[in-house]
Amino acid sequence: MKALIDWFDHRTGFKELMHEALYERVPGGARWRYVWGSTLVFTFMLQVITGFMLWSAYSPSTRTAWESVYHIQHELTLGYLVRGVHHFAAQAMVVLMAIHLVQVVIDGAYKAPRELNFWLGIVLLQIVLGLSLTGYLLPWDQKGYYATQVTTNIMSATPVVGDQVQTLAQGGTEYGHLTLTRFFAMHAGILPTLLVAFLALHIYVFRRHGLTVRDENHAPETTFWPDQVLKDAVVCLIVLAVVMLLAIFKGAELSAPADPSVKFDAARPEWYFLFLFRFLHFEVINKMGVTFGAIIVPGIIMGVITMMPLIHKFLGEFGHTLNKAFIWLLGAGIVVLTTMAIIEDREDESHQAALAEAHRDGARARELAAGPDRIPVDGAVELLRRDPFTQGPRLFAKHCSACHRYNGHDGRGTMVVDKTGIALPTAADLGNFSSRDWMRSVVVDYAGHFSWQKNAVWFQDAQKAESAGEEVIYLNPDDSEMATWADVDSLHSTDNAENLTALVEFLYAEADLGYKPLDEDEREAFNNPLAANSTLTDIGRVVAIEGAWAGDLEGTSCVDCHTSLGEDFVAVADDDADGYPTLAKYGSAVWLKDFIRNPGKARHYGEKNQMPAYSPQQLRDDELDLLVRWMTHDYLPSEVHDYENRLAELSESQGTSAGTGSIGASAAEE
Amino acid sequence: MSDAEPPELSTSADPPAVDPPGRRELLAAALSFLLGAVPAAIGGLFFLDPILRRSKGGGNDGGDQTMDGFVKLDITPDNLVEEGPPVASTVIADLDDAWNRFKDVPIGSIWLRRQQGGEIIAFNSICPHLGCSINFRRGENDFHCPCHASSFDLDGGTTNDTPPRDMDSLEIVVATDGRPDPNGTELWVKYQNFRRGTPEKKPI
Ligand code: FES
Repeated sequence: MKALIDWFDHRTGFKELMHEALYERVPGGARWRYVWGSTLVFTFMLQVITGFMLWSAYSPSTRTAWESVYHIQHELTLGYLVRGVHHFAAQAMVVLMAIHLVQVVIDGAYKAPRELNFWLGIVLLQIVLGLSLTGYLLPWDQKGYYATQVTTNIMSATPVVGDQVQTLAQGGTEYGHLTLTRFFAMHAGILPTLLVAFLALHIYVFRRHGLTVRDENHAPETTFWPDQVLKDAVVCLIVLAVVMLLAIFKGAELSAPADPSVKFDAARPEWYFLFLFRFLHFEVINKMGVTFGAIIVPGIIMGVITMMPLIHKFLGEFGHTLNKAFIWLLGAGIVVLTTMAIIEDREDESHQAALAEAHRDGARARELAAGPDRIPVDGAVELLRRDPFTQGPRLFAKHCSACHRYNGHDGRGTMVVDKTGIALPTAADLGNFSSRDWMRSVVVDYAGHFSWQKNAVWFQDAQKAESAGEEVIYLNPDDSEMATWADVDSLHSTDNAENLTALVEFLYAEADLGYKPLDEDEREAFNNPLAANSTLTDIGRVVAIEGAWAGDLEGTSCVDCHTSLGEDFVAVADDDADGYPTLAKYGSAVWLKDFIRNPGKARHYGEKNQMPAYSPQQLRDDELDLLVRWMTHDYLPSEVHDYENRLAELSESQGTSAGTGSIGASAAEE
Repeated sequence: MSDAEPPELSTSADPPAVDPPGRRELLAAALSFLLGAVPAAIGGLFFLDPILRRSKGGGNDGGDQTMDGFVKLDITPDNLVEEGPPVASTVIADLDDAWNRFKDVPIGSIWLRRQQGGEIIAFNSICPHLGCSINFRRGENDFHCPCHASSFDLDGGTTNDTPPRDMDSLEIVVATDGRPDPNGTELWVKYQNFRRGTPEKKPI
C-alpha cells in the first residue's frame, strides 16, 4: 500500500498538496466563527450533486418543463428528496452567504491585503443570486413564471442597454421555449462554471493570507485538520439536516403550469428577495421611476459594500466602524421590509384569495397529471384549460357572480363587494345546484329557495308598481303557484315523508350529476359516487308522474303542470310550451345549457324571466360546456381542498342590511 | 498560456535563426489570440441571436392575423354596455414559439369598456409597472395591480404614483367581415405588449 502511495506521490506530488490543504495554520485555535466559508462550499457541492441528478430528468421547453419536474417530484425514486434538497439548499446558500458576508465585514476580513479576495467574494455572491434567479423559472410554474417576469422586466429598466439585456436573457421579446433553454444553460452550465472558477480563486487567494484572526491568544495555535475541520463538519451536518428535514416535511412546491393568459395575483419573489419587492411598493420610490428603485438603489448598496476596503483604507478604523454600521443597518432594513411584506400579505384578503386559488390550481394540475389520462403532448397547461373544476369557478365569477353566488362567494372563494361592503345576491345561490338539498328546497320551500332575488332592483320596482295598482308580470317567489302548492301541510306531514324523499331522489337522478369520462371503457369502469339510488328513484318517478301523494295532495302530480317531467329534454318552440318551466332533465347538463342560452323562452321562465340570455359571443360553446360540467360535477373527481362555504357571512350581512334597507331597496326608493 | 514550455520541442519545430525572436513572439501571440477569438466570436454571435434576429424583423409574433396585426375577439360590441363595468376578454391567436406554432391559443388578455358616448376602449391587462396583471375591483370601481399596488381609473389613467404611465391602450376596431364598419358586429384588437417600467409606451 505504502509503495503504491509513494509511486503515486512521485508522479503527482499529491502528498504535499494534501498537506498544504489540510495543515493550514489556525492561530488562536479552531473557532466556530470560521465555519461559514466551509458550509458554503458544502452546500455548493450538494447543489452540484442534486443538480446533475435533476438535469438527468429535466426537459426545458414550455410543454415539458413543468411536466418533467412533476415527474421528478412525484414519480421518480426519491425525486421529491433530490428536488427538495436542491430547492432548500439553494435557499440555505443565500442565507449562509449573508452570514459569511456579515462575518467578514465585522471581523474586518475585507481589509488590506485581503481586499481582492473580498471582491472575489462579491462576484461569487452575484453568481449565486444569478443561479437562484435562473433556477426559480425552470419548473415553469405560475409562481416562477410571474415572479421571473418581474425580474426580467426590471432588467429592461437598466439604462441604455436594458431592452437588449432583457431580450438576450429571454431569448426573444416574449417568454417561450428559448427562455427556458437559455435560463437552463445559464443555470446548469455557464454560472456553475464561473462559480467554480471564482471559488477556486477565492480559496487560493484566501490561503495566501490565511484566516483573519481576531484574537491570537484565544487558544493555542492549531491546524485546519483536524480541529477546524471537525467544527466545520458539525455545522455542515446541521445544514444538511435542516435542508433534508425541510425537503421531507415541507417539500419543494410546484404550482400550476405557467399560463401567460391566466392571471396570477399571488406572484411573489423568493422570500429572500421579499425586501426588494416591498421596497418597490413604496409610492415615493416608484415616483422616481422603476430604474431608480429596482436598479440604482440596489446598485448603490452593492457599490458601498464593494467599496468597503477602500473606505477602510482612506478613513482607517473609523471607516471600519462605518462599514459595520452600514452592514447592520442594511440587515435591519432587510428584516423590517421582509417582515412588513409578510404581515401585509397575511392581512391582505385578496392576496390570500389569490394564494388559495394558486394552491387549488396547483393541486388540481398535479391531480390531473396523475389521473388516468396522464399529461397530453400539448402539455399540462392544456389539462387545466380543459378542466371544468379549474375553469368553472372562473367562468362563474366572470359571468354569473354579478347576480348569483356559489356557496356565498363569487365562485373563486371571494365575497362579492360593492362600495357599501358585501353585496347581496339578486338570484339563487348555486353552490348546491342540482343536489338533493337543492331539489328538496325547490319542492318544499320554493319561496325561501328563491328569496335572494327579492334583493333585485327589478323585483322591488315590480312590487312598487304592483302596490300602485299596476298590472305587472314578474316572478314573485312568495306568490307563485309552486309556493302555494308547497304550502299545503300534508306535504310536510309524516304520511308524505317517504314520498317526498323519493321524489327528491327522482329529481336528483334526472339531473344526472357526476363524472362522465369520454373514454367508453373508463366510463363503464367509473363508479359514480354521486349516482342516485335507483330503487328510490323508481318510487319517486311514480310520485312525480302519477301523483301518489297522501292527504290533501292526493290527485295532484308534478306533470299536471310540468308536462315533460321524466322525459328527455327537448327545446320545444314557444308555441308548444306548457306555460310552466320545463323540468325534463331539470338541472342536468343539457337542460342547463339550454337554460343559460335561452332563459326567456316560453319553455323556461318566459315573460317572467329576468336573467340575461348568454349568447356564444359572450360565453363561447366551450366555455359554456366547462361551466355546465363544473356545475353538474362532470369532471375527474377531486380531493383538492375547495373554497370554503361562505353562506353564513352572506346571511349575516343580509341580516344587517335588512335593518337599514337593502341596497336594492334604497336604490328603488330614490 | 505560458505554462511549461518543453524547450526541445520548440527549438526543433522552429527553423532556427530564420526569424528574429520578436517576430516569432508576435506570430505566436497572434495565433493564440485567433484560436481563442474565432470560437468566442462564433459562440457570441450565436448567443446574440435574439437581438440580431429582432433587428432583422423576425421574432415571436403570432401568425395568421388579417387586418394587419389585428385579432378578432369573441366578444361583440353589443356585449359592452355604455359606462358599464369593464369586461375582460382573452385574445386568441396563433402563437409562434421557437420551433412550434400553437394554433388558436390564448396569447393575452385585455380589458374592454364602452365609454360615455359609446366609444369602445381597450387596454392590455399587463401592468405597465413591472408586468403583473391588472384586475378590475368592483368595490373600488377601479383597475388595480396586486403586485405593487398600481391603480388606474376606468379610462386607464393612473390614480397613484406607482405605475410609470397609464394603462396601455390598444387599437380597437368595430368591423364587419374583417373590414372596418362603425355599425359592425365584430371587434378587432391590435394586440401588442409594451415595454414595462418606462414612462414612454414602447411596443416590444
Ligand atoms: S407590476 Fe403592477 S404594480 Fe408592479
